[in-house]
Amino acid sequence: MIVNRLIEKAMEKAQGAQASLGQSESTDVSFENDRLKSAQSSQSTGMSIRIIVDGKLGSSHTTDIDDVDGVVARALEAAEFGSPVHFEFPGPQEGPDVRVYDDAVVPVTKGEMVRIGEEMMTLVKEYNPHILINARTGKSVSSIQFANSSGIAYSTETTNFAVGVGGQWIRGTDILLAGHGFGWKKREIDHVEVARRAIRLFTMAENIAPIKSGDMPVVFTPEGVKVLLLALILGFDGKNVFLGSSPLAGKLGEKIADETFALTDNPLLDYANGSGTYDGEGVPHQVTPLIEGGVVKNFLYDLDTAGRAGTKTTGNGIGCSPTNLVIKEGDTPFEEIVKSTEEGLLVHNVLGLGQGNPISGEFSVNVQLGYKIEKGDIVGRVKDVMLAGNTYDALKNIAVIGDKAEWAGGSLLTPPIQIARLSVVAK
Amino acid sequence: MRERIEKALRKSDAEYTEIRIEAVTSSWANFSGEELDSIGSAKTVGGIVRALVKGGWGYATFNDLSALENRVKEACESARLVGKEESKFAEVEPVVDEITATMEKDFRQISLSDKRSVIEDYNKIILGYHDRIETSNVAYSDSFRKVWYGNSEGTYIEDERPNAGVSLSATAREGDNVQRGSESVAGSAGFQVIEGLQEKAEAAARRSVDLLSAPPVTGGKYTVIINPRLAGVFAHEAFGHLSESDFVYENERLKELMVLGKRFGSDILNIIDDGTIRGLRGTHKYDDEGVKTRKNYLIKGGILVGRLHSRETAAKMGEEPTGNARAISYQHQPIVRMTNTYIDRGDAAFEDTIRDVKLGLYAIDMVGGQTSMEMFTFSAAYGYMVRDGKIGELVRDVVLTGNVFETLMNIDMICDPVEWPPVGGGCGKGGQSPLPVALGGPHVRIQEVVVGGRQQ
Repeated sequence: MIVNRLIEKAMEKAQGAQASLGQSESTDVSFENDRLKSAQSSQSTGMSIRIIVDGKLGSSHTTDIDDVDGVVARALEAAEFGSPVHFEFPGPQEGPDVRVYDDAVVPVTKGEMVRIGEEMMTLVKEYNPHILINARTGKSVSSIQFANSSGIAYSTETTNFAVGVGGQWIRGTDILLAGHGFGWKKREIDHVEVARRAIRLFTMAENIAPIKSGDMPVVFTPEGVKVLLLALILGFDGKNVFLGSSPLAGKLGEKIADETFALTDNPLLDYANGSGTYDGEGVPHQVTPLIEGGVVKNFLYDLDTAGRAGTKTTGNGIGCSPTNLVIKEGDTPFEEIVKSTEEGLLVHNVLGLGQGNPISGEFSVNVQLGYKIEKGDIVGRVKDVMLAGNTYDALKNIAVIGDKAEWAGGSLLTPPIQIARLSVVAK
Repeated sequence: MRERIEKALRKSDAEYTEIRIEAVTSSWANFSGEELDSIGSAKTVGGIVRALVKGGWGYATFNDLSALENRVKEACESARLVGKEESKFAEVEPVVDEITATMEKDFRQISLSDKRSVIEDYNKIILGYHDRIETSNVAYSDSFRKVWYGNSEGTYIEDERPNAGVSLSATAREGDNVQRGSESVAGSAGFQVIEGLQEKAEAAARRSVDLLSAPPVTGGKYTVIINPRLAGVFAHEAFGHLSESDFVYENERLKELMVLGKRFGSDILNIIDDGTIRGLRGTHKYDDEGVKTRKNYLIKGGILVGRLHSRETAAKMGEEPTGNARAISYQHQPIVRMTNTYIDRGDAAFEDTIRDVKLGLYAIDMVGGQTSMEMFTFSAAYGYMVRDGKIGELVRDVVLTGNVFETLMNIDMICDPVEWPPVGGGCGKGGQSPLPVALGGPHVRIQEVVVGGRQQ
């Protein structure tokens, strides 16, 4: 393997090294404005190395697989001025079983991808011919080689398949954008269901519902839950905890959310986008509970950050980021949550998330796609509305959690969540 | 390279074919808190072939340059699968040109150690500013991009695109209250752009500490005065994106809404996109279709007078190409993008904008913005309340929202002069982010802006 040559070359001068080589072939077809617009094939190669010399770390990257000498030389140069390391490269360890490769993805032709797009487009058109449609189907097959100076050497293959359909419905000066998509490591995606979900978002938005400023109960759809999750992704990042920029620093074992709330990092879900046997440092993946019964259980670490913080890696390298996040189901059906709401907001998608100071938990966003709930019914779409609050306050203020978790994208599995009160400012 | 590109182009049987190859050398260093987090360098080479057959596009992207002719065939096959109509593609005069970047201090000649020590200084300033500073993040990055572009009409361009930038971020903390102050600088002029930023490092630190004692803004509707750094992002989000013709060219209803001659603002409002302004981050001589960039008025005297085009959108709308087809890298096709976008100067003085405001908000510097065409948000780094004609207390979490068909009409005062803050970051669209753009403007006053936040 090329990565073994990289390690050999590096170890002539270094005391430790890790190398990876990623190669990928992908195909995409894209529909724009009601018609097939383009087809694309992509070939990509990337080779990365991290080296430890005299206790300092340097890294380098290249797209040229013949440039073994060059990429090692540049990493050595970086290591000379590099950051002090707080870890050793790990030795080989048995990893958990998780499926990341599906044979059925490989033979999918561009023609078949076109047909999937056309079928989704036809369904949305049948619902409403005035919607101008975009759709996309994509697949990829990738391989990764990994090795380090402590004896790890393995290679793995993954596949990916994704479909999406959306559109634009203009009435007067009202521009409505909605759509749905899903992608994971498996061929099996019900594209008809994807189109139906997109249609449902349009159907609920047929009327525009006026709304007044004030505090009100807010239901987040699985997609909408991302509004609450951003602060948590930053807050559970072990580096932010170690540096003290996370408000959760020092709160291990403390109750920060309603006791019905549980959040887990789970890289062992078959075919999910963030799944795999090992992380980017050759550490076996593990399931890490982050919040249980509202109590902070763990933070996410990679090797270096764990070393700095005096703890162990959770297999979230490089970068202390989550793999797949899973929020525990509650016991109330979505329909009942809506039915029991006298006046409130259903939030699916927002504008401006992450602008401002997301790590503090504060959010202040425009409700790009959201609906008014009145006397237990979804009565229409809201417009020109700002939603504001703080994730950490909201989590203590959970009214009810839905009984069915759904994928929002390929790496978040969550039920809908209702917060008892959030601030809404309307025009 | 020219010979290789031209030889491969001859293998094409498409109506139009282009090849863009890029070689990028880059380096980075960043501090988180007291320690250097990462330091390194990278070399990437890659390319894209784009082919047009009967109105359908085929693309092939690659890192392996050895099979260029096969990639051309692949793109042609894809285009043939897609194309079913008649191709429309605006005529431009073929050019042959070579652009060499001139940097006062070439960052490729500067050692990683020197790059590290410049930011180490900024990092120390932030960490030493105050007891309440919890941590810092100071990141340096540079890239030197060489682009070879050739198309089947005979255009051949070699271009060099350097970029160096620093972002400076301070985090202050008091109990659960965590606040950030950030500054960034980026530019193409050379390494000197990122030197001498000690004052900016201190400003980031000071802001993070000051914001600890600032309350969040109270949600509601206000008269808002935006400073030049925020006016640019306002122009970009509130109107710029809607003037990108790929949203409009095959959309009959949007064409009606965006018909040239329609009024969007009062007489004082002028919004311009200009890819030719020397030294700005969105400036190039040619776009990624080999079309010369130019100054494009979008709104003149409050009236919609123009829009941004690629060769395809221009042909389909019967307008001229404007040099706005841009791609962030060889992994992407060119799409219609802004370059340097600004609100042009007016004749108001800053004091006039405040004087008669009973309750308003002075919103300062940008954190970001986003649009869904009709509705948009733009976020300020911080703001001050305006009470009875005077600037009052500092407030945080200032996010503003608007509606393109209403908010531009509510601009009632525009000041002088236009400023172009040299900030880093960039614009995202269609999975391509961040594209270097510049955002400019003067102080601008807008009536009745919805500001998010909790109510009293």
